[in-house]
Amino acid sequence: MCDFGALWQDVLKIFPVLGGVIPGTAEPVEETLYENVRRHLQQLGSMETFAAILDLEIQSVIRNVLAPKFWKHFHGDSVPTDLQTCIKDQALVIEALPDKNKLFSQFIDAINELYFSFNSLMQVKPRLEHLIGTENSSALNSAKLLHEDSIKSYLRDSLLSQLPPAFSVVVGAFYWVHFKLYTKASHLALTTVDSEVFDELLCVGCNFDVEQCCCLRLTEMVNKTNMKLFEMNLIDRLTGSALTSLIKLKIKEHINDTCQGIFDRSHLKQLEKWLADVIMTWLKSIFTEWQTKDNAKEAEAPASVQSFKVKLTYYMYETFAQSVIGQFFSIIIDYPDSIPAIDDLKICMEKIDMRVYLTESLRSSLEARILHPGVNTMDILTGYVAAIKAIRHLDQSGVILEMVTAPIKDYLRKRSDTVRRVVTGLTEEGPTDLSEELAKGESIKDGKDSGPDEFSNWENWEPDPFGIDANLMKYNSSKIMRSADIISMVVDIYGSKELFMTEYRNLMADRLLAHLDFNSEKEIRNLELLKIRFGESLLHSCEVMLKDVTDSKRINAHIHGDGNVNENQLFDISSLIISAQFWPSFNKESLQLPEEIENEFKKYTKAYEGYKGNRTLNWRTVTGRVNIVIEIGDRTLDMVVSPTLAVIIYHFQNKSEWAIEELSSITKVPASALRRRISFWQNHGLISESSPGVFTLLEKETEKSQFEEMSLAEADEEDLESAMASASDQREEELQVFWSYIVGMLTNLDSMPIDRIHQMLKLFASHSGGVEFTQDELKHFLQRKVREHKLLFSGGVYQLAK
Amino acid sequence: MAQNISPEQSGGAGGSTKHTDDSMPVKDNHAVSKRLHKELMNLMMANEKGISAFPDGENIFKWVGTIAGPLNTVYAGQTYRLSLDFPNSYPYAAPVVKFLTSCFHPNVDLQGSICLDILKDKWSALYDVRTILLSIQSLLGEPNNESPLNAQAAMMWNDQKEYKKYLDAFYEKHKDT
Repeated sequence: MCDFGALWQDVLKIFPVLGGVIPGTAEPVEETLYENVRRHLQQLGSMETFAAILDLEIQSVIRNVLAPKFWKHFHGDSVPTDLQTCIKDQALVIEALPDKNKLFSQFIDAINELYFSFNSLMQVKPRLEHLIGTENSSALNSAKLLHEDSIKSYLRDSLLSQLPPAFSVVVGAFYWVHFKLYTKASHLALTTVDSEVFDELLCVGCNFDVEQCCCLRLTEMVNKTNMKLFEMNLIDRLTGSALTSLIKLKIKEHINDTCQGIFDRSHLKQLEKWLADVIMTWLKSIFTEWQTKDNAKEAEAPASVQSFKVKLTYYMYETFAQSVIGQFFSIIIDYPDSIPAIDDLKICMEKIDMRVYLTESLRSSLEARILHPGVNTMDILTGYVAAIKAIRHLDQSGVILEMVTAPIKDYLRKRSDTVRRVVTGLTEEGPTDLSEELAKGESIKDGKDSGPDEFSNWENWEPDPFGIDANLMKYNSSKIMRSADIISMVVDIYGSKELFMTEYRNLMADRLLAHLDFNSEKEIRNLELLKIRFGESLLHSCEVMLKDVTDSKRINAHIHGDGNVNENQLFDISSLIISAQFWPSFNKESLQLPEEIENEFKKYTKAYEGYKGNRTLNWRTVTGRVNIVIEIGDRTLDMVVSPTLAVIIYHFQNKSEWAIEELSSITKVPASALRRRISFWQNHGLISESSPGVFTLLEKETEKSQFEEMSLAEADEEDLESAMASASDQREEELQVFWSYIVGMLTNLDSMPIDRIHQMLKLFASHSGGVEFTQDELKHFLQRKVREHKLLFSGGVYQLAK
Repeated sequence: MAQNISPEQSGGAGGSTKHTDDSMPVKDNHAVSKRLHKELMNLMMANEKGISAFPDGENIFKWVGTIAGPLNTVYAGQTYRLSLDFPNSYPYAAPVVKFLTSCFHPNVDLQGSICLDILKDKWSALYDVRTILLSIQSLLGEPNNESPLNAQAAMMWNDQKEYKKYLDAFYEKHKDT
């Protein structure tokens, strides 16, 4: 009836795609052909079937020919294989790509080709419409192919189903280049793009020589490609994720470039502006290039860009906060110059929950930066105080502060010189500003003020920040403690004012002894300030000490005024008479004075006894200052030295050569200590070690031998040594007393649990000095003894080790 | 009436005497416990090898002592627990000292009572816990066989070797107690 072969030929002419190939430009088809085919099909009544076949054929062509062909562009060596493995971190890969321009052109080529094929497929639609004709409405409706966007969605579906993992990298590279072009064109972000990397001769945008800059051409290409992508409805699906990660990368870069290490001004405003001006306009340019042509969909694009904006703004805050937190240690150190940065972070933290991240990161950076043996205690303290101030600025509630500083406190507690440093900081001008804080006076009055405050102020009540370990909160978070002032926080390191005050007393004793002409006004002022804070009773002995000093001056004046004493006097003696009860115990150094000098002291003692009946003086010969004038050869030295040094040089007066043992026995100073002292005189070129262990007086100023030059110790520092036993030494002594009791107890009563030991100690041992001793402290102590194998602990009871 | 009053008066008088009776020991108690505290402190500080004592509980008038058998005697290597009970009149009266660990010794009976002159008629207020313990320690090595509490031990004492053998057997037997 009809020639099917001829008909098929005609059909193929109209729809070359049925042959399984994608045609180039479709040749125009004569109207007669349509007529012919339409007639035949209508005769066969298979118009609808035909449309369905055509639809299937197009799908299969897209799936089997078009998509693979498109993806082929990106297979193989377009992306280095080693990079393919780390696809997940797209941003990194994009940055690391060696040849972005190559990928860029590759992408454009591929898209062009795809677009070309797409267009030719699109021609099928009008032709089919034409073929079916307007009168056959049922066939028109049933032909899926004619539905809007059907080809587009086929294309998208099959492309995405075959998406190779490395593709997003290619897209990333494409937009990377685009962004560079864009920022160059807009001139807005010139500084942010790493322009300095490129040679001046190269164009910032296209990386070619400036003379042959092809930015404009490239931009045009990009815009066209974008348009094509959009027309194919692919732009969202194919490029969305790559675009997001690229922009994230750019944000990160921008934050690093502009904000890194700059804490003294706020960045958030400027960042927001950058995001709006650069990134958002760029995005708009990608998504709205086609707008002029397709006004109908104008409303849709800004919406997608809007959602992008929300996402990116959030991301920017997060990245910025992370960046700030990462540098929080430096911020702490720079405080208060870094307040703007902290304010920024505060704003970020209101938007994003970063608390846990902050505490973790800060804790670890603190640990890495200051909590190791290489750091001075003073520096740790400075850091601690700065951290308190900075974090308090960030978080009024003090919870973060507590979490973050807990490791510092723990660590400082382990350092033996912490208390000493704190006290020094309190009384002397130093980097910690503690003295300033002290001068502010006004300790927080525990509870009294905050109690009613909390009720009257209930409208301003804020809940504790969340994201904090609830257990931690339970333990130590009375509001009062958390809002304690800096001094209390620092003193709190030790948890005990007593220990702190003992150390203060020791240091004060040192100062009083070292500087006999000390600044009593300053001391008294400090003392008064401390009294406000710590109460009178703890500082009572310090007061006595100060009084001792003034009393001594009076007594000195009196004795000096006594004519009897001044007769035949070889030299002036000024004494510092201290009440042993109130002063910290001295260390146990000794020094035997030469007879001649001792006699003078005896005279003084006698005068004192005459002045104050029933009392006498015990001289502590090691401590003090001696003014001496040394005349030797043609030199005269006038200096102030410690008594030990004076005695040493005194002995060289009569005998110019001493063996160290000999000198040691006559002065009662141990040989090792003596040797250290002698090095002071060696430094001054008065004594030399003529042979090992033998010291000779040098009459003339000679050059020191090489050997001596090296062996001379820094004798001056010796003077700074404390004359006092340190607080921890004293505590150790007290513990030793308790230990004897514990041994006695356990010897006779075999084994005891800790609370019984504690009770017994309180009952029987507290008479030996009235020292308080908490059960915790006892436990610590007993555990130490267990570790030293002096005790056994089993079944809850302690026992002596056999 | 008189009948009514007189008992009251006598009662009052009785009360007052009683009062003085009571207050005296209380006052003494304080002084005694103070002295005992001091002795304890000295003992603890001296930290002497071989002797030790400590209050047995909250009551400072009851102590437990520990002495090691003196070296170079048959008692070397043994450890003895003693109880020390201090009277309210201490140190004017001697404390009652007994062995808690059973001790086979010429001057110690099976109940642990000790026959030692300084704990009886030779007591002096100058003695203290430390000297008591030292005396008992030396008594172990040098018994007074003139007035034995344990005649068997006194008789065996002369043959030290045999004595030692018996002693070891004795402790083997009393190990549990």
